[in-house]
Formats: sequence, structure tokens, C-alpha cells
Amino acid sequence: MRSLHIDGDSRLHRMPAGLKLASLAVISLALFTINHPAVLAIAALVGLASHALLRISAAEIWRRMRPFVLIVVVVALFTGVFSGVTEGLVALFRLAALALFASLVTATTTTGDFIDVITRAAMPLERLGLLKASDVGLSIGLVIRFIPEILSRYEVIRDAHYARGLKPRPLSIIVPLIITTLRSADEIAAAIDARGIRSQK
Amino acid sequence: MDIHFEKVEVRFEGRTVIHPLDLNLSGRRIGIIGLNGSGKTTLARMINGLVKPSSGRVTVNGFDTVAQEDEARGQSGFIFQNPQNQIILPLLREDIALGLKSRKLSKDVVAAAVDAVLDRFGIRHLGDRRAHELSGGELQLAALASVLVTAPKILVMDEPTNQLDIKNRNLVENTIRTLPEDVIVISHDLDLVAGLDRVLLVHDGRIAADGEPAAVIGEYRAMHGVHG
Repeated sequence: MRSLHIDGDSRLHRMPAGLKLASLAVISLALFTINHPAVLAIAALVGLASHALLRISAAEIWRRMRPFVLIVVVVALFTGVFSGVTEGLVALFRLAALALFASLVTATTTTGDFIDVITRAAMPLERLGLLKASDVGLSIGLVIRFIPEILSRYEVIRDAHYARGLKPRPLSIIVPLIITTLRSADEIAAAIDARGIRSQK
Repeated sequence: MDIHFEKVEVRFEGRTVIHPLDLNLSGRRIGIIGLNGSGKTTLARMINGLVKPSSGRVTVNGFDTVAQEDEARGQSGFIFQNPQNQIILPLLREDIALGLKSRKLSKDVVAAAVDAVLDRFGIRHLGDRRAHELSGGELQLAALASVLVTAPKILVMDEPTNQLDIKNRNLVENTIRTLPEDVIVISHDLDLVAGLDRVLLVHDGRIAADGEPAAVIGEYRAMHGVHG
């Protein structure tokens, strides 16, 4: 399975995962209070430059950002058409900056650290009897685990189309993608049970 | 191992997958062979509680797999057919540690246990590697390490040499031979099960033969007109 995490020993890699997630939350909130396209564009550039400082290649940045590009462009276009060009640019740079900062966190934090920090954060809710903190941590960890895997599956299905001389179409990609992902999710759920990772007590 | 199937039957969507069965499994190394869809994986999955019997009961070292699910599950580890699905987290070291999470051990104790199990299989150098970077044989060893870190007494392996080249197949076979744990191996690899102590032949959800590997394998070959 592929991972969103990239090996490294940068200051960001060494920073506690909880601090990184808290910083990301603060930055995200700040980005939503800013309505200046130029300021938001600078924020996006800072996010991009930070990837370069971590020696993440342009190809890797593109691989990480590609799933968001369509969403960001569509949202920006709609906003631009219905609310004006400035609002469209605000949406474009805001979402791009958000995706880039979030990518920095996933690139420098292992899935295990994510699980640990989310589990700790959910402990107060467990004490109130609302949920099991380890389940929340594991769920978030699995979501992060599955993102690159779904992309890999998409590439396999797309290549299978090309190999058979077929043009990939949304429906002929999405249906097998959902089926193989659900099948794999079933197996992973069974592995979680079999390994006693999520005991019943 | 001390596993009992008592009047066990498994039905899926109106179809009987395992016909009423009474079976005792004891000893060190047991193989299960049979055609695809014969019910051998279902039979093995019941040992870990992954499949619940529709009727009857399964006990593993005295623990009922339904009424005492966690205790019964703690007795056995299960190695899946596709080790990619067995490894849950990308980094091998983190994945192995995940198996100890529910035990609420300190970080140091978990790290020591992970190092010990990696050393046991001579794969400590793979600890910081990602699952997709490992070869087939390395992946099987990683899957073994991820299960054995919790120290189960019995190891159930579903087609452990499936899709492996000859070098990795031999590596996995040699590893199975030297495991101190009791082992149940489901396999189409007849050379692998020939070296075990006892072999069961599953056919259409029933135990068609049970005994010495050579005799059971011979019966399997004869049943399907294959000559070894």
C-alpha cells in the first residue's frame, strides 16, 4: 500500500503530531477569515514553498494535489460565475492553501502518530461514555491509509482499460473501484478482528 | 492445540458451506487441502472466530469462539491469503505495534516487543519500510511478525505460499517448519502440506479424508484423477 507520509528528519517531521494538527486547525480557521485573494495566494505559495523546503519533488506534489484540483477548480469557477471574479479567486486560493497545508501535515506525520493523537483527543468523549477513543483513532487512520490506495486502484483500473483498448469512462471506472475497495475493506476489517486490534471489551 | 468442532454447521444465504461436523484438532502441524470453494477457508476462519457457526460450537483451547470471542481469538493468529490486506498501516514497525494497542502497554514495551519479533524473523532492517516496497516473501514474513507479536499459541495460515516465486516459497516453507507455535496450514501446495503431521481433505463442506499426509494427498489426487 502507498502512504501519504514521506520519510524525512525535518523540523516539521520532528514536531509532535498533535501540535501539527492543532496548527492546521488554526491556519484553516484563519484562511476562512481572510477575504483578500492576494493574501490567500501568498498563503498558497507558502504552502507550496514549504513542500520544496522538505525536498518534495514537483511530481510528488502534483500526485498529492491531483485529487483536489478538479474540486478546487469547479468550486472556484462556480463561485466566480455566481459571485464574481474576486470571490472566485478567494475560493481558489483558499482551498489550494488548505490542501497544501494539509498535505504538509500528512507528508510529515505517520499514520500511527495520527491514530495516537486522535485517540488521545477523543479520550474525554470516551470518559463521558459517548464512544471508544481507540475506534475513532483507528477510523481516522484507516481513512488516511485508504486515500493513496484508492488512487492506486484507480490507476490499475484505468490501465486495464487502456490495455484492452478501451477509453476510461467515469462509470466504468467508478463501479469496479467501489467494488474492489469495499472487498478490500472487508478483508482489512477481518484482519483487524483477527489481530485483536479492536477487542470487544 | 486443542480445537473442537461440535455439531458445527455453516450456512450462507441458504447454501450449506460446512455440513454438520464433529472434529477434534490436536497436535503440532495440520494441513487442510481441497478444491477452491470446498469449505476449507471457512473451516479455518471458524478457529479465529472470523466465521461464526450457524449451529453447533467451536472451542479453541477451551474457549468458545462465540461466547468467549476475545479469549478464543487470543489463542490463535490468522494469516490471510493476501498479506497486503493483513498489513493495516503502511510502515511495518507501526503496523506490528498496532496489534499491541488494545493491551495499553507503554511505548518502550511495545517497541521492545516489535524489535523482538522483527529479530525473530531476521527482518529488523525492514521495520521502517513500507508494505508496498516489500517482496512477496518479505510480505509473508511481515504478516507473520504482525500476528506473532501478540504471542498466539496457534497460527492459522491461509495459502501462505500462494503467488510466491520458488525462492520466496522455500523461505516461507522453511519458516513454517521452524515455528515453535502449533500451525494449521490451508494450501494447494501439496509439497508444503506433505511435511506436516496430519492433513484433512475438505470436499463439498465435508471432511473427506483425515490422516497421514501421504495417504490423504494420495486420496486427493485419486479423487480428481491427478497422478503425482
